[in-house]
Amino acid sequence: MRLRAMLPLLFLCALAARAADAPPASYAADFVQTRNLPGFDTAITSRGNLSYDKARGFHWEITSPYHYLFEMNGGKAREELPDGSQRALDPAQTPWLAAVQHIFVSALSGDQAELAAYFQVAVKPAGDDRRVTLTPKPGAIANAISRIEVTESGPGRPEHLEIFETSGGHMDIRFTPRAAAAP
Amino acid sequence: MRPFSARARWGIWLTSLALLCGAAAMRLDPKHFINTDILAMLPAQQDAPALQAATEKSRDAFVGEVLMLVSGPDADATRAGAQAALQAAEAGGLAADQSGESVDDLLELYREHHYALLDQAQAQRLVTGGAPALATDVAVSLASPAGMVSAFGSDPGGHLASFLTALPQPYPGFLPDGPFFSALRDGQRIYLMRSVLPGEAFGEEGSKQAVAAVDAARAAVAAACPGCRFTATGAPLFADAARREAQQESVVLSVASTLLIMVLIAWVFRSFAPHVLAGLQLVASVLAATAAVILCFGSIQVITLVFGTTLLGIAIDYAFLYFAEYWFGGIEPKDVMRAVRPGLYLGLATGVLAFAFLLLAGFPALTQFAVFSVAGLLEAGLLVVLVFPVSLTRPPEVPVHAGVLWPQRFLQLACRAHWRRAVLPIAALLLAAPGWFMLHTSDDVRTLQNLPPDLLATDAAVRSTLNQVPPPGFFLIEAPTLEEALQHESALFMRIGADSPGLATLGLSRFLPSTADQKASLAAWKHVFDDPAALRAGFTRLGLPAKLADRTTAEWRDAYPETFAPETLFDTAPALKRFVLQDGEQVALIATVTGSGDVDPALLAKDAAAVPGVTFVDPLARIAATFERIRVRTTWLVILGYGLISALLVWRYGRREALRMLYPPLLALGLTLGVMGWLDEPLNLFGVVALILILGLGRDYAVFLREGGATRRSPALAVSLSAMTMLFSFGLLALSHIPALHVFGVATLIGILASFLSAPLSLPPESA
Repeated sequence: MRLRAMLPLLFLCALAARAADAPPASYAADFVQTRNLPGFDTAITSRGNLSYDKARGFHWEITSPYHYLFEMNGGKAREELPDGSQRALDPAQTPWLAAVQHIFVSALSGDQAELAAYFQVAVKPAGDDRRVTLTPKPGAIANAISRIEVTESGPGRPEHLEIFETSGGHMDIRFTPRAAAAP
Repeated sequence: MRPFSARARWGIWLTSLALLCGAAAMRLDPKHFINTDILAMLPAQQDAPALQAATEKSRDAFVGEVLMLVSGPDADATRAGAQAALQAAEAGGLAADQSGESVDDLLELYREHHYALLDQAQAQRLVTGGAPALATDVAVSLASPAGMVSAFGSDPGGHLASFLTALPQPYPGFLPDGPFFSALRDGQRIYLMRSVLPGEAFGEEGSKQAVAAVDAARAAVAAACPGCRFTATGAPLFADAARREAQQESVVLSVASTLLIMVLIAWVFRSFAPHVLAGLQLVASVLAATAAVILCFGSIQVITLVFGTTLLGIAIDYAFLYFAEYWFGGIEPKDVMRAVRPGLYLGLATGVLAFAFLLLAGFPALTQFAVFSVAGLLEAGLLVVLVFPVSLTRPPEVPVHAGVLWPQRFLQLACRAHWRRAVLPIAALLLAAPGWFMLHTSDDVRTLQNLPPDLLATDAAVRSTLNQVPPPGFFLIEAPTLEEALQHESALFMRIGADSPGLATLGLSRFLPSTADQKASLAAWKHVFDDPAALRAGFTRLGLPAKLADRTTAEWRDAYPETFAPETLFDTAPALKRFVLQDGEQVALIATVTGSGDVDPALLAKDAAAVPGVTFVDPLARIAATFERIRVRTTWLVILGYGLISALLVWRYGRREALRMLYPPLLALGLTLGVMGWLDEPLNLFGVVALILILGLGRDYAVFLREGGATRRSPALAVSLSAMTMLFSFGLLALSHIPALHVFGVATLIGILASFLSAPLSLPPESA
């Protein structure tokens, strides 16, 4: 019932997976997101960028094939939709957003406790990088997600994120970190 | 006429009592001899059946609930602790809440019927925006960080996810987690268990069982997870604490008052007989009173037993009247009855008349009080008339001593014609008068109980962790059909959402859209899918594959979407039936709201009034209103009864003397109310019962003194003994920590003192 409220920023969970070691003050990257749907042979690809820091919050933008923007800072969030319209999101009215915000704050503060509550976290070396595997503990998340794998170049600096859904769906996001966070 | 023999008198008395008890036994329901449900004493006949049923349902859901929290830093260890607590609580008789078990089935039902679940705004958006609107929704669902791992395949626009997200959360911030709800707060993993006591939560057995189960759960957590913290709250725990406190106080105060009274009787009469006869009178009158109530009502309320027994304290006046005359009246034992008869009969008549007036109140509580008190007083009088004369036949051998003489000296002093006799009462009344304007009434049942601070603190901590305070009441939505009721509930929730955005609404419509809304949802989808070409164009315009549009259209066609009926929902999640009340042709829904802070009932009532068929019910306010009605009506009936008694006294003594006799009780009443005002003690129903007692005693004192002889030793002694025993019995209640008893005790303490000290004013002044 609360699936979506739990699922939203698994991505941020993934970013936070190793953040405790040396939580980054800011992070910025371009990404390519490829989504494979079960029973659908055409992959859906989109491109965009993300950034976050403690002062400006979280920024998630799809630039191609259409434009979409999600920004969250403090208790407020807003979206710009592909049709050009905007909408404000109030965490009090949007339970999933409250969860997102909570996890996001945890991520920025290097708090892995929320993550460890729902996932078994395993860290393995992968060449120069490290691979973090998040396996959901029994519960709502496990009904939808088989596992999440994050390859990162450094603590809290992901390069590759994969989400394997129980339905057979698969999401792949490759990050290209920017040299420095946007000013 | 020959007087009855001793054996005949005992026979008549015992036979009458046995007949009464026998008749009551035939009427008695052995399983419900004493009814502990105090709310059943309130008038229910004014409620519509739906409101009555809803109130009971709402109350049942609250009174049996026990919430347990297990928290700790380590998730696995804490979960093990919670598991151990759950098992221990279940073994102890608490039933775990099973409502979470149907979540998966419910999700499946919603997945199957997801096309019927658009809310009004979403449906309107698809109708207005058509294919491009759906294409945008799909694009957002793909792009949003919130939608990136939702069940995209079957819900490309995220509409089902939106519906599921909006479903009510039983405990905000807590997620279903097997048999628990869990959350993480400040690095602590918290597991919440909601359990229900199957039996009567306010009964002794039920509340004891709940406490034992919680203690077992606490011990199980300590063993399974030593670093974990365990907290629990719930009405049964409060009920048990209140009962234990009442029992402890009752024992201490009863023992203290009984010892004091026994010492007093022993000191004055220096004989064992008064103990036996006074005890016999008390037992007999309570027995007869209980039997009379059972005969009339089938069972007796515990509050009738407690307060009725208290009111029957007046009956000991008759015994003291007889004892004082017998031991120290200076007359032959055979003449004692003749000497006390006028005072006894008049006291009995006025007492019965005063209590009989409560029969007119029309409230179950007061009707039972009246029957109990009238029967008890008559039995007490009967015992004195029949048994005392044949039990106390030998001339007493107790010499007159100081303990016997002081009441007479006090009376003689107080009856002496002196300016103090006129001025002191008036001065006292003037001093008390400002208190009348400071006196405030209180009918809130919550102020009648003394809730233990540690339990209150735990409860507040648990509610704070859950970020949820209990709702102040519930909504009752009545309509001819469930469909209409659902529509009204939806309208109500929209209004609440606009007026109080921080509140979470809980009702059936949150789980089951009305058929009209479901049809509107299906029509919106049909509107979009009726033009596949437009949908393809909408998708490709945003760079999405046209095949995705085709697949989405095909899924719609293959689904044969239709609405789902309430019965389907109830079959899937039977717990949701708790929101529905079916009463013949009429349907009623129960709904409520929760918030993180106190919710203003007035605002909810305003929202309810704006929607047809909706009523906001505040049970505590309703109970308070009923208590107020009882209090006010009782007050008027007492005034009316007193008017009648006044007429009786006028008939017996003439207007002037009757007024003189009425002066002391009314003076005592005025002083009591004034002092209570000064002391900031509230006047509630229990205070009014105390005032009835005070008026009854004052009236008895006046009659006894007048009929017994102005300043004779024995009536003065009887009145003094009565006042002192009353002070020991009821005045001690002023020490009680239970507000209801404390107020009663304070009122009687002041009132009895005032009645006793002013009693000489009922006699004409005597020249020195």
